[in-house]
Amino acid sequence: MLDAARQLFEEVGYEAATIRDIARRAGVSVGSVFTGFSSKAHVLGEVIRGRREELYADLERVAPHLRGSTADRCRSLFAVHYAFEFRRLKLFLAYISVAFEWREARQSVDLPVLGANPRLVGMIRDCLAEGVARGDVSGDLDLDQAVDLLLGAYVWNYRLAAGDGADSERLVARFDRQIGLMFEGFKPARAGAPARA
Amino acid sequence: MNHFTYGGLTASEPAERPSQRALAKQRTREKIVGAAKALFAEHGYGGATIRDIAKAAGMSTGAVFASFTDKSDLFTEIAEVEQAELHAAMRAAADGLTGREAIAAMLEAATERHLGSLALFQAIMSALWTPGLAEKARRRLDRRPAAALILASVEQEIGSESGGCARFTAEMIWDGYLATLRRAAVDGLTPDLVKARIRDQTKTILAGVRRA
Repeated sequence: MLDAARQLFEEVGYEAATIRDIARRAGVSVGSVFTGFSSKAHVLGEVIRGRREELYADLERVAPHLRGSTADRCRSLFAVHYAFEFRRLKLFLAYISVAFEWREARQSVDLPVLGANPRLVGMIRDCLAEGVARGDVSGDLDLDQAVDLLLGAYVWNYRLAAGDGADSERLVARFDRQIGLMFEGFKPARAGAPARA
Repeated sequence: MNHFTYGGLTASEPAERPSQRALAKQRTREKIVGAAKALFAEHGYGGATIRDIAKAAGMSTGAVFASFTDKSDLFTEIAEVEQAELHAAMRAAADGLTGREAIAAMLEAATERHLGSLALFQAIMSALWTPGLAEKARRRLDRRPAAALILASVEQEIGSESGGCARFTAEMIWDGYLATLRRAAVDGLTPDLVKARIRDQTKTILAGVRRA
């Protein structure tokens, strides 16, 4: 059933796909969809959870091979993330849109929180912590906040895919540049240079 | 169609008629917008129907459709007014300031305003992210992005000769602002934490750009 839902959300979009369509595609009754899920948003939430597992597998495959500066390592992780989500772009855009919806609706569907993806957050945080040890990230940096800033910029770039039809290459190039600027800000103050105000 | 025309008025008060009608039309629009704003904030874009909006405004759905072509048209008008008021508040806050002080003041003003109507902000954001749902709204709102407002101050801070860099930085600051605000709206961050984070992240971005 989740496979059927994922395919439909991708083909016709989340808004247009109905519970009835999902049931028909999965070959089950509408009633049986509702015994497992409280709403269409709930189905989306479960589809997204399943996708996250696949994303972790992709990220863990590249993690041991990361080389270069901390900024470059982060670039690689996020490039994997972009490539992954662009394979099912409509689905991810639908998720961002629904994740903004009104609190009551969200509470009832238990949608995974956008940007609070424990293993992904952990992976980026580790990458930054290694940077502190390596010396190209300041020890004074609030790592959680830095992860937030990176993830926020990452997700906001999708608005270019939603409104402008940008492809993953354009988003990766944009984010590479953003990471470059952010990591300049994350660097330890240069020896002899006045401390940052 | 005869009962829709006001022949008598036309004959006796030719100059008055358009303004009277325009005023009545304006009042109707305001009534609809007021009701719609509350309902969008309460139920989101998808959850508020034209029927509910008409009922809350005390008129027929036909009367709503006489003023707005569809829900996305009505929604866009609300979002545009919100945007114009937000920009005015940001400009007023930055009055007499330059560079990073102006940027901080504008973001602070935007935060105050957005935190004061988080539900509506959330509804607007959700609609703008939905592919195809509010294409027209997106096009109309994207013409005057808030990032353009802080661009001049960013140029003062990092130098305008940096070409596309200032624009890129202004967008980055505004995107970072919206991302943090989204967390306030959806995931629950306290207002003080939101303000502190926005201040810190803006500082980090500017510091990075100055070094680069």
